[in-house]
Amino acid sequence: MRFLICIKQVPDSTTRVKVAPDGTSIVSDGVTWSISPYDEYAIELALEHKDTAPDTVVSVVTVGGPRTKDALRQALAMGCDDATFVSGEGLGPLGIANALASAVAELKPDLVLCGKQASDDDQGFVGPALAEALGWPHLSQVTRISSSSPGLEYWKETEGGHEVWTAAGPVVLTVQKSAKDPRYPSLPGIMKAKKKEIPERPATGLDDPVKIEIVKLEPPPARGAGMIFKDGDTKAFAQQLATLLRDEAKVL
Amino acid sequence: MRIWVVSEESRDGQLRRVSRELAAFGATIGDVTVLRVTGERVPAAAAATALAERAKSDAPDLILVGATPSGRDVAARLAAKLKRAYFSECTALTIDGGSIEATRAMYAGKVRAHVRAALPAVCSVRPNAFPLADGAAEPTLTDIAASPAPGLTFVRFEPSAASGGRVPLSEARVIVSGGRGLKGPESWSQVEALADVLGAALGASRAVTDAGWRPNEEQVGQTGKTVTPDLYIALGISGAIQHLAGMTSSKVIVAVNKDPDADIFKVADYGIVGDVFEFLPAFTDAVKRVKATS
Repeated sequence: MRFLICIKQVPDSTTRVKVAPDGTSIVSDGVTWSISPYDEYAIELALEHKDTAPDTVVSVVTVGGPRTKDALRQALAMGCDDATFVSGEGLGPLGIANALASAVAELKPDLVLCGKQASDDDQGFVGPALAEALGWPHLSQVTRISSSSPGLEYWKETEGGHEVWTAAGPVVLTVQKSAKDPRYPSLPGIMKAKKKEIPERPATGLDDPVKIEIVKLEPPPARGAGMIFKDGDTKAFAQQLATLLRDEAKVL
Repeated sequence: MRIWVVSEESRDGQLRRVSRELAAFGATIGDVTVLRVTGERVPAAAAATALAERAKSDAPDLILVGATPSGRDVAARLAAKLKRAYFSECTALTIDGGSIEATRAMYAGKVRAHVRAALPAVCSVRPNAFPLADGAAEPTLTDIAASPAPGLTFVRFEPSAASGGRVPLSEARVIVSGGRGLKGPESWSQVEALADVLGAALGASRAVTDAGWRPNEEQVGQTGKTVTPDLYIALGISGAIQHLAGMTSSKVIVAVNKDPDADIFKVADYGIVGDVFEFLPAFTDAVKRVKATS
């Protein structure tokens, strides 16, 4: 069985993102790039499955500029079997979904996994759009894949629990944070990943009728200096706070 | 202008507040139709197919969906099916001639973006983004039957132990959130006592959900939920950048922490430097009293 994970390279979650002087992009100097966190969880779900079913092949693909190839190396170092680089920059979500759909047509996976959203634009659009381009069903917020007979069960997080689903054929899963943290690349994994060939193909099948304009990016509005109570009786502060929340903030 | 609101019901069958907020907002900018996709556990693709079919005749200029997990799912699939611009988790919308400008968070809340696209478009909108007047009329719902969903079969529901019966985190007006400063899962009986008095949802920092003290679905912040309640109470949370990203858009933030240098105080409207275990019972009592006399 082949799993294909679509990954995106984004600024690492510890990065302090700064808006560039042009006001419509971010400062890329000094940014550490890594695989988007939910994509890492998707990789982990696939590798966990491979741990129990060793004939599983775990492939990764990304669409982007030359720098994003590093994300594929990182995925290989975590234990993925092969990687495909689709070269194409400045594509919108539907364009990326179409580029991924042609990669899926070529690689013929049984299952496609995406993070539920990339942590840069936070849209959560590409996974469902890819499923739409393929004509496949999709399940979002998946946190677990378990084996049943026959086939696999997909655990979709909902309010108050999980819906467990099965699929008759191929399906796109968008992955939510799961209980198990993504594994770190091992040293032998890193060495092996360095030597692996990463086939490159141009993005094709681009049909993106939708134009999005970034009007302005800005830091989130600064919060005014708060009222801090310290060096006193916590219990008395608690009483005062309840009154303030009712009379001043008007939220009680 | 034709506006669609794709509504959603909560587990008890009530129309969600966010759907009512969107219906009220829609009425200020055009003619609103509030749609309800009927059927049990309808996969997003099936809901989107049914909606897209109706969109052929209705030709809505703008489709609004509450940015709940399932709302976002349907909205994205529908936008892809209709090949329309899609903005997710919007916090403000402005219509200007033939285009829409949306305000939304990017980079897990570290950046606020203003983005524009030509209509028609699909937007998922965060709860609490638009006001809902007290006593606002219940919108009339138009039912659409979902087509059968090929390919996927629902097998069973596995309930999670912890947070049954509370308001969902993403649309709660009040959230009580706990961090590592609470020392262990046993402290949550006190957190829940406060949440009960406030009618609040429970949240947690990543440290807490990673340690298994609380279920993952309660995590607030990057890789968890982004929340925008009227009141967010952070107990024993230091305020890592990933956590702050998920909650700084709350209207009022209260932080209690024994470390005066904790980053959470930089975003707090009211901060108490002190022992969270002294604070909790005292504050719970105080809220009871204050609510009783208001």
